[in-house]
Amino acid sequence: MSLQDSLFAGFGLIAVVGALYAVITRSLLRAIVALGAFLTAVAGEFYLLSADFVAVVQIFVYVGGILVLMLFALMLSASGVRHPLAAIDRPGLGAVLAYAIGGGLVWASWTAGTFVPAELPEDAVGALGRALLGTQLGPFELIGVILLASVIAALSIARREQP
Amino acid sequence: MSHLLTFALGLLLGAVAFTIVGALTAILVLTERKVGARIQGRVGPMHTGPQGSLQTIADMVKLVMKEDVRPARADAVAFGLGPLLVAVPAILSLAVIPFGGPLIMRDLNVGVLYFLAVPGVTVVGLLLAGWASYDNYSFLGGLRSSAQFISYEIPRGLAVVTVVMLAGSLSTVDLLEAQSRVPYIVLLPLSFLIYAITSLAEVNRIPFDIPEAESELVAGYHTEYSGFRWALFFLAEYAGLFAASAFGALLFLGGGNGPLLPAVVWLILKTSALMFVGIWIRFTLPRFRADQLMRLAWKFFLPLSLANLVLAALVMKAVA
Amino acid sequence: MTTPALVLSSVLFAIGVFGVLTRRNAITLLVSVEIMMNAANINLVAFSRVHEPAAMTGQVFALLGIGIAACEAAVGLALILAVRRRFGGTDVQSIDLLKG
Repeated sequence: MSLQDSLFAGFGLIAVVGALYAVITRSLLRAIVALGAFLTAVAGEFYLLSADFVAVVQIFVYVGGILVLMLFALMLSASGVRHPLAAIDRPGLGAVLAYAIGGGLVWASWTAGTFVPAELPEDAVGALGRALLGTQLGPFELIGVILLASVIAALSIARREQP
Repeated sequence: MSHLLTFALGLLLGAVAFTIVGALTAILVLTERKVGARIQGRVGPMHTGPQGSLQTIADMVKLVMKEDVRPARADAVAFGLGPLLVAVPAILSLAVIPFGGPLIMRDLNVGVLYFLAVPGVTVVGLLLAGWASYDNYSFLGGLRSSAQFISYEIPRGLAVVTVVMLAGSLSTVDLLEAQSRVPYIVLLPLSFLIYAITSLAEVNRIPFDIPEAESELVAGYHTEYSGFRWALFFLAEYAGLFAASAFGALLFLGGGNGPLLPAVVWLILKTSALMFVGIWIRFTLPRFRADQLMRLAWKFFLPLSLANLVLAALVMKAVA
Repeated sequence: MTTPALVLSSVLFAIGVFGVLTRRNAITLLVSVEIMMNAANINLVAFSRVHEPAAMTGQVFALLGIGIAACEAAVGLALILAVRRRFGGTDVQSIDLLKG
């Protein structure tokens, strides 16, 4: 195994353990902290898959933004922090379904054949920028509109109703 | 076997970085106390060592040896994780600063974005620390500081975007090369002002130290911390000040570029000048009120930085 | 490294599915959904490496996915706050106004 492979395996292990812990713990705070570990490990995987820009954006938006938003919501709603959450509901059914879906996906990935990594462009970040503002401009602009709409929606939903 | 060695080397490098940042903090704190004393007509620390120069070393030894007190009802995991998540990103963000030649940890091709993104993780640490302490002052301090951090992150990022537009690269080494003739402070003075002021807010310095305003919040999110954990918060503040100043020097003052002296010396000189201004401001300006702080960020700096961005883009288009 | 990445993303997706199916707290549900979105993003980035990397399509869509996740978190958490005010908790089974 090369250094890259072992790093990939290490980050993968952190991601899987973090995700599992986030899903089964009964403390909401710890679930969010575990999600943070998971998100950081996924950023590491992005970096190893030579997507530097996506990795940094993952840290920027997910850890610096969404995780903080979740902590805010946790603290403002304050439920399940001092008191543990309800235990896992019908774990057997969930496990069977998750196993079926996950097993199918793993089988599909495993038998998908071998992939040969193609040559990366010289200026990868520049190519990504040109793709965002060139061929993919439509979706990019659409995301801007959706973000604006969701900010307005979030504000109007979370606003305290006037008495 | 070879990558076990690589990991060990990485750990060693991390320890070296931590030590350097610790030494840096010691020097900075002493400078700050001496400069502050000068401004206020005092003499500052005088007793430990010649002219009090060993005072911070003594303080650090005391801090490390102090008992580590944890409030009885605090959440153990989050209480321990808070200071770590504040200190580690502040140190990590130093990894992309080019001190000239081979003296850079890693020349990422997204270095500038990395520098903006990684300190953002400290918000998580501040929130955890404030929440885990089980104390109203800590909690309010944590919420305030994360609100402040998120608000000032936006105009700061937009100010940096103008530099990136001009240089055409996100790599810190390329930035250095792009400024070999003219430092960007000449071309983008407004961006520099926005960056400097919002950076003070990012690292929680007076006049933006609302989260730890002692007259209203005791000490904000680190009210309940003592000993080494408190020292980590302290370390993070000064590492953050250093990183923000070094990046200010790199983005706007031409970094290591300069005649005669080697690049490291130039970068440290420019960084020191910026840090001195930060210390100077601390002993000159009063603290903002929490609502004034938010109004300043959203109603003044955000429109200003957007206008600055559009203006810079238009001028660039017209010149090109 | 493509096949390991695909397998990893499948496993993570299954963990997310398990969370969505078995948890009842709204914030934990959101956490599970984020795990699933990240699994999808790993897939996109992994395929971007092997299929026309110069066009960067996979990475662009991973970025758009991160943007969508941000929207989803903002609206979802606002809803959670509203639910908490209306029903006094964030357990999704307490939202039962339509029960006769």
